[in-house]
Amino acid sequence: MSTANSVKPKEQKKYSASKRYQKRSQGAEIWRRLKKNKGAMVGLGIVAMLAFIALFADIIIDFETDVIGQNISQRMQLPSRDHLLGTDEVGRDVFFRLLYGTRFSLSVGIVAVIIALVIGVVFGAIAGYFGGAIEEIIMRATDIFASVPHILMGIVIVAALGASTLNLMIAVGISSVPQFIRITRAAVLTVRHAEYVEASRAIGLREASIIFVHIIPNCLSPIIVQTTLRVASAIISASALSFLGLGVPQPSPEWGSMLSSGRQFIRTNSLLTFFPGLAIMITVLALNLLGDGLRDALDPKLRR
Amino acid sequence: MYRYIINRLILIIPVIIGVSFLIFAILDQAPGDVVHVITGGGATQQEVEALRAELGLDRPLLVRYVDYMKGLLKGDLGKSYISGRSVFEVYTERLPATIKLAFASIFVSILLSIPLGIYAAVHSGKIGDNISMVAALLGLSMPNFWLGLILIITFSLQLKIFPSGGNEGLISLVLPAITIGTGLTATLTRITRSSMLDVIRQDYLRTARAKGVNERKVINKHALKNALIPIITIIGTQFGNVMGGAVLTETVFAWPGVGRLIIDSIHARDIPMVTGSIILKTITISIVLLVVDLLYAAVDPRIKAQYSKGGS
Repeated sequence: MSTANSVKPKEQKKYSASKRYQKRSQGAEIWRRLKKNKGAMVGLGIVAMLAFIALFADIIIDFETDVIGQNISQRMQLPSRDHLLGTDEVGRDVFFRLLYGTRFSLSVGIVAVIIALVIGVVFGAIAGYFGGAIEEIIMRATDIFASVPHILMGIVIVAALGASTLNLMIAVGISSVPQFIRITRAAVLTVRHAEYVEASRAIGLREASIIFVHIIPNCLSPIIVQTTLRVASAIISASALSFLGLGVPQPSPEWGSMLSSGRQFIRTNSLLTFFPGLAIMITVLALNLLGDGLRDALDPKLRR
Repeated sequence: MYRYIINRLILIIPVIIGVSFLIFAILDQAPGDVVHVITGGGATQQEVEALRAELGLDRPLLVRYVDYMKGLLKGDLGKSYISGRSVFEVYTERLPATIKLAFASIFVSILLSIPLGIYAAVHSGKIGDNISMVAALLGLSMPNFWLGLILIITFSLQLKIFPSGGNEGLISLVLPAITIGTGLTATLTRITRSSMLDVIRQDYLRTARAKGVNERKVINKHALKNALIPIITIIGTQFGNVMGGAVLTETVFAWPGVGRLIIDSIHARDIPMVTGSIILKTITISIVLLVVDLLYAAVDPRIKAQYSKGGS
């Protein structure tokens, strides 16, 4: 807060000079605020790097030989120049597996959140826009759904669907729906009676286009922030389910299942447990930093 | 006040009906048959059919659900498919371990986060604030099952100070309580800090200072008391969640609480056990949240007045 305060007078001076009437686009303004946040930029840098690794993992690493190919003669090696983070119980290079695992963990997190986002925004917007009985039904159903802690909901859904990567995405996604419904509804409520909404109604637009063309774009800030932070928690949830043996099956290098298999060797080679968790933590930390920064940048009023 | 409590208790009923149907319907889709788990796969077709009939699995979902709800009305949550014991009995047997863990981890969390949050708020923007916020974010970004494993590696395998699992005496409580407590501390520190920041800038604090109240008293009495509501909310929700069983931490530390009961039952496809445990867990969480709401009234006279008026 204090940094924002100390910057203010300078800003005002700048505006009162010749640039006074020069308008900045909203995007540029948000980017300017985000750039000032060191944590958010570190987060953004790490996320960009991870995304790059995830996209190009198969150019750097050969899945068949480096990721799932076993090499018993090289098993359980400590970190060395040949194997940066050592090797696991069947001689697979831990560093390569972790790099390739970025692809699994990030995509599980992102797809899960997209599922939650689509369902949550649609129902949340409907509840917020129409109000009345529809809202009551949607929100009560959400309350019921949310009263089961979401890791448990994920566990139950995966147990019902069977353990696979796709089902893991579905389970984590569905269990994060309530947060999106609530946040979208709350945002829609604030603009439901805005003049531009009245105006669109007056010129006879269909309800669906009012909601999706006029209301939702004006509710994006909290939804974007929630999405970033949710990807972080989805990655943790997904790795937790994999850890419990309910997620991505072996030998895929998903971080949670690597952790789970590393756990068997906790007495002999604890590094196999340490590194996958570290990878999860760095990813989640980066997303949290970025999410917090975005929240401050998108809505300076909320700045804490 | 009493009317408020009764209203809130009545509101738990539709939640229980909803949750039980949800879990019932989802688990009905589960692949892998409990009959196979019980018989070990070595039964003839006839024996399998007979066992299915005995467990009532040959009837449609809705019929089974209505039956289940009839039982629930009488307080009967059914029997475990595997052990044949009453679900309620097994659950309550596991509950004390979970309660113990919940209290211990909330204790750890309050002890760390409230002073840390206050410190960060008072020194807002300074280096101490930044360090504690980064630490909190780090705690928030850590998968707690991993933290648990790291603690086991460090403190029980290498330093041999604490046991790596089980529930034997207070000493076995330390590592799991720190594991859960760390995650809670991270959230609670952030909430304490932002709630304190809201309060700290208000006029009545300036008045208090102007009157010559010393700074320590201003912060600890005048400010903290008014910042408590969001803090209590979070403590309450967290307490409710841990009371429902910290699934992962209980698994990592082989802690014999309700969280591990649920996981074990899921792996065994023991559907009555899972459904019953989740219903009981939901009830536990709802009651804890109600108690939290009542605590607001104790902390804040304005809210007490609202409850007494019968408002929601």
